[in-house]
Amino acid sequence: MNPRRLKWGIWAVVVLCYAVPYALLRDVAHWYGSFLFWGIAGLTIILLNVLMTADFNDRFEE
Amino acid sequence: MSLGLIWAAVGVYLLLGLAIAFLSRSESTNGARVDMSGFFLGNRQMNGFVSALSYSATTYSAFMMVGLAGLTYAGGVGAFGFEIVYFAGVSLVAIFGPKFWAVGKRFGYVTPSEMLGHRYQDRRVAIVTALASCLFLIPYAAVQLAGVGYLLAGMSEGAITFTTGVVVAALLAILFSFIAGIRSVMWTDSLQALFMIVASTLVALLVVQSLGGFAALFDTLATDHPQSLTVPGPGLFNLTTFVGLTIPWFFFSLSNPQVSQRLFMPASLKSMRQMLIGFLVFGFVYTLVSVLWGFSALVAFPGLDQSDLATPTLLASEHVPPILGVIVMVGILAAAVSTIDSIMLTLSSMLSRDVYAQLAPGASDARQLRVGKWVLPVIALLALMFAELQLDLIAVLSVAASTGLVVIVPSIIGAFYWRRGTAGGALASIGGGGLAVIALYATGVTPLGLPPGIWALPVAVTLFVVASLVTRAPSVRAQEFLAAAGR
Repeated sequence: MNPRRLKWGIWAVVVLCYAVPYALLRDVAHWYGSFLFWGIAGLTIILLNVLMTADFNDRFEE
Repeated sequence: MSLGLIWAAVGVYLLLGLAIAFLSRSESTNGARVDMSGFFLGNRQMNGFVSALSYSATTYSAFMMVGLAGLTYAGGVGAFGFEIVYFAGVSLVAIFGPKFWAVGKRFGYVTPSEMLGHRYQDRRVAIVTALASCLFLIPYAAVQLAGVGYLLAGMSEGAITFTTGVVVAALLAILFSFIAGIRSVMWTDSLQALFMIVASTLVALLVVQSLGGFAALFDTLATDHPQSLTVPGPGLFNLTTFVGLTIPWFFFSLSNPQVSQRLFMPASLKSMRQMLIGFLVFGFVYTLVSVLWGFSALVAFPGLDQSDLATPTLLASEHVPPILGVIVMVGILAAAVSTIDSIMLTLSSMLSRDVYAQLAPGASDARQLRVGKWVLPVIALLALMFAELQLDLIAVLSVAASTGLVVIVPSIIGAFYWRRGTAGGALASIGGGGLAVIALYATGVTPLGLPPGIWALPVAVTLFVVASLVTRAPSVRAQEFLAAAGR
């Protein structure tokens, strides 16, 4: 997959960061509610960045 | 906490920092032929590991361990979400980083504002961007200095005065940035970043342990403070406030010149990748730790009058041994100083490159560097003065900093993606947008009930697009620029 397409994954995670805790998890007052969701979102962001920059070694290099 | 212990810790930190700053000197920053690119960008040869730690220390100020912990205490888990959205925004480095890096190498840019001035072929764009950055970031640095003043005064129970704390932090920032420019900033930042993460993680684990472990901590929260685990929760993070806070912070990596200038510096794209991923890992851990800190304070001391007292109260409690408390104190001091010195260095490069050199076109590179080095302590003195005066306007500008700087974002995105973007558009969005943000904060007006953080970007985008469409685009320059950026 073209790494540049993964930026859409970032946008999707950002939208979910608003929608899920405010719409779906607003009554889940436990660690496995919004706390876990945003934690997983953070880890997903790291993973997406690792994949998005996988070709940084050769792209644009002189 | 004893005065001797506090000064001993500050002394050790100062000596270690100075030793590293002197060791970081090199031909590029202190040699006979040092130039602007050498002093302010490390000759675009910075390696990935140091860049990652420095980017982390610069981004994360004293706000995290004091402010974010306080926000978690007062507003619950929404504070974590706020930081995670900001964190996602740093992914913009993966999209814009290679473009900044490529045009920086091609055209020799030293500052992001210089890049905008050149791209839109109008030196006024560079001047206005540089001045807008100073307008918002000097007060922000002043508030960081004031934070150190309060921290040292609070931990010593008044034995160290507020002014002493502010002066100590300002002196450290001047020394760390003056000794070898960006190299001493980045190397001392690295030391400070390690200090920040190790000290805060250690203490957070210790505190959580003394409260019965993670499971007990979250069980207590679920039983005694269930609202702290949901949004809007206790009410601080209603959706409007959350959106208003997160939009400007999402664009932090582009809007704040002390971090966007870093995109010119890596030796290679491989180094840039290491910088980005290293920062993300650091940031995730540091965010979790700061949030856990706030939750721990809520469980241990539920009745505090002010949420900003969450961290000081926790540090002074029986949950944290004094020696670790003083280590965290130095960690918070390091977090503030590492943010202030980077801001000072970037602003001095902008004032010499984008204001002085634009108004005195014949100024040689060596002369710009001399001016930049003179401006550095002047910025520190201004920040120090503002911290001492505690003016209302300074507080307003500091709070408005992230929102105010977001008005630069349309011009940056337009530079890389919209050939029709013009200097008129950039000037209207940065000048007009910036003034609109200041007016909204100063008057407290919230049109349609929405905070300035929500208004700033659409207003700036509209001004940029409309003013661009009615003015003439620099099509040849745009062509050259986009070709260099790889589009």
